[in-house]
Amino acid sequence: MTRHHPDSLSLMEYSAGNLSEPHALCIKLHLDKCSHCRSRVDTLDSLGAVMMEQQPKVTVSESMFDSILSKIDSEPAAEPAAAAAPRVSALQKLLGEDLNSLPWKRQLGDVSVLDITDRFPGQKEQVVLQKLAAGGKAPAHTHRGEETTIVLQGAFADQKGVFNQWDFVVLNDEDEHKPVAVGCEDCITLSVLSAPVKLTGTFTRMLNPFIR
Amino acid sequence: MTTLDQKPASSEGRKDPWSQMLQKVGKHQDREAYHALFEHFGPQIKYYAMANGLASHAEELVQEVFVSIWRRSCLYDWRKAAASTWIFTIARNQRIDMLRKMQRTSAEMPVETEDLWQIPGENENEPVTSLHRLMSERRIRESLSHLPEEQITVIAKVYMENKSHQMVADELDIPLGTVKSRVRLALNKLKVILQDQNV
Repeated sequence: MTRHHPDSLSLMEYSAGNLSEPHALCIKLHLDKCSHCRSRVDTLDSLGAVMMEQQPKVTVSESMFDSILSKIDSEPAAEPAAAAAPRVSALQKLLGEDLNSLPWKRQLGDVSVLDITDRFPGQKEQVVLQKLAAGGKAPAHTHRGEETTIVLQGAFADQKGVFNQWDFVVLNDEDEHKPVAVGCEDCITLSVLSAPVKLTGTFTRMLNPFIR
Repeated sequence: MTTLDQKPASSEGRKDPWSQMLQKVGKHQDREAYHALFEHFGPQIKYYAMANGLASHAEELVQEVFVSIWRRSCLYDWRKAAASTWIFTIARNQRIDMLRKMQRTSAEMPVETEDLWQIPGENENEPVTSLHRLMSERRIRESLSHLPEEQITVIAKVYMENKSHQMVADELDIPLGTVKSRVRLALNKLKVILQDQNV
């Protein structure tokens, strides 16, 4: 279980470029707002650079450099302004400007979900947005396999603590929890699931928003 | 605190010839500096491609990386990242991009590689240049030389062969927990684990 920040092993897999796209997205969204973790990733990127420099030497031909030059000459000159233009964030590209107006599917009580797995073609995990209405409670559940979650809006609390916007949580089958949305906003999270959630209360099968 | 950590950031950054050259490429489109970077980093990137299963595309990757270096060099700032770190992340992203394009029909990429994997120093919100960051590479080289071989092997497989911790465990025929503890011990030495909570 990892809470609030990704652990170093995950950041290392991120830095090495070995994570799946949905997992990389969770880390990137966190990094955009967390200078502490950004600095950890900078160190890991430097580790990658040092590993690369310490490998056996191979040769590259001079003719390759010539073809690189002809490639850059055939392109219009780089425009610093264009290169430095503010980027639309991955989240906006995927979900647009307003998370609240997405086509949410009301599940039970305070919980709404939206499956966005199809935005990640070719990836194995299920990717789900969950919305817990302000002040609302989600039913107790555990997680089959591993669930990586990042808070996109609002905050939730469970018996282990309060999770604010851009906090990062990894839960597995040992973590039974009963999240409650805190604050005056609906709490919206993005979760990457290696296997479906398992409800632990009564009416489990009927209520499980993730059983299709 | 070691004496290394007390040196001013500026002298460290200016001493690195590759960062100076990359800066020249970015500011003046200096082709001599660009060629020197190619001679130094080209072979490294080619080996990187070969090690992670892109042998038949190794030269293509080197070309893509260098075209990308040329295009983005105007954004490079030696105060924010050493050239080798910056170039490593470009090589990593181009590799990911190449694999994504191979595995996919062209239409289906709503999110670009660079939306998911950041290049250091290009975050516009970055308030200050941390001393710690500029010290990184030198400190890492120094720390690596003291790590046991078994820890370096695991890290090399993760970074160069792009294997997950699970794949490394399978290949070396050791438990996943052993791989993770080797990585943690190494990262501890490299001071990446400063405020991990549950390790």
